[in-house]
Amino acid sequence: MRLSGAVLPYLAAAALVLTVTGLGWGLFVSPADWQQGDAVRIMYVHVPCAWLASAGYTGLAVCSILSLIWRHPLADLAAVEIGPVGAGFTALCLATGSLWGKPMWGAWWVWDARLTSVLVLFFLYLGHVALVRAFDDPTRGYRAGAILALVGAVNLPIIKFSVDWWNTLHQPASIGLTGAPSMAPAMLWPLLIAALGYTLVFATIVTVRLRAAVMERRIRGLLMARAASESGA
Amino acid sequence: MSHLPFIAVAYGLGVLVPLAFVVTAFQRMASARRKLAAIDPRDRWS
Amino acid sequence: MTRKRRRLWILLACGLGLGTATALVLTAFSDNLVFFVSPSDIAKVGGNGRTVRLGGLVEAGSVQRGSDGASFRVTDGANSIAVRYNGILPDLFREGQGVVTLGILQPDGGFRASEVLAKHDETYMPKEVAEALKKSGQWKPEAGPAPAGGAWKKPGG
Repeated sequence: MRLSGAVLPYLAAAALVLTVTGLGWGLFVSPADWQQGDAVRIMYVHVPCAWLASAGYTGLAVCSILSLIWRHPLADLAAVEIGPVGAGFTALCLATGSLWGKPMWGAWWVWDARLTSVLVLFFLYLGHVALVRAFDDPTRGYRAGAILALVGAVNLPIIKFSVDWWNTLHQPASIGLTGAPSMAPAMLWPLLIAALGYTLVFATIVTVRLRAAVMERRIRGLLMARAASESGA
Repeated sequence: MSHLPFIAVAYGLGVLVPLAFVVTAFQRMASARRKLAAIDPRDRWS
Repeated sequence: MTRKRRRLWILLACGLGLGTATALVLTAFSDNLVFFVSPSDIAKVGGNGRTVRLGGLVEAGSVQRGSDGASFRVTDGANSIAVRYNGILPDLFREGQGVVTLGILQPDGGFRASEVLAKHDETYMPKEVAEALKKSGQWKPEAGPAPAGGAWKKPGG
């Protein structure tokens, strides 16, 4: 926690610089696609949000494992703070995808496997956000939320491979661990920088929220201790 | 630029939504720090 | 066995069970999870008068635009089906482009579409790279998708 305080300014600064660079490059410098024209620029917002929707949920699942098996108190708080942020970025992914789909595909929304599984991810986030706050005893909320998060994690490989397993309107991945990316370098670079920038923005938001949550818990503890000592005196 | 309205709305959302998260998170941290300092001045949260 | 160890095993067992169940369900419902069927699928089972989504590439040289719509053939390489559509085609529509059309197979073997969506592939490149690929003969957009990114040459590639 002390460490996070020291790192935070640098994290926030790097997040700002990289995001502005990536988005500015994508919007003004990078070339238009040969068939999509300028609409391809929506990719520089959409793809980082889609990546963070999945990565954020992976973080949520890891926190849930730490919470269920090792009962790590910070993991509970982290899961509570990741939830709403992940939901926000998933909503952003769906909204920008819709704005990209209308001019290119000719439809705001279709029920193909990729779009549907991401919508399910969004509802899993919302369910987690509601569930961890639904109990009077916070520990029970953390426990229920962790189980929901882990059950929902089965959706992550479905999202990733939906475009390979089934016919979808959504195109398959352009960038993979193996093989050359099927994207020109002049478009790949701003995309990677924007993705890294958004990731650091996400990390900054979660770190700040987590620090606030730890302080709020400390305040509650101090107030309770004070009330107890006053009533005992 | 072709499809400008779609691009403008996408970039607008893409900047405003994360910005809203950042601003509210920092506000929440600042308010928690103030409250903590009022209750227990020995607690130092730089 | 410590309590932590026991919780770990319980969690692993639950995960394994859940994963297996999900895999089985997805395999069982695989037919309903596809967004569209290919011309070969239709050639195998026929149309049976239901509304289906037909997907594939627009066959080179098959597009005829009329005053109230267009007709073209959708192919997957092995089979192709003639599609008739009254309405506005999407911007990305061209020969060699992937499309998904919603409609009903007619008794005469033609496909009457009420909606045409463009399906672009995962290849992104600037106009100059596309021109260079076409000029060097590495790629004909009418014939199908562009070659893999690793095969691109200069400029910009």
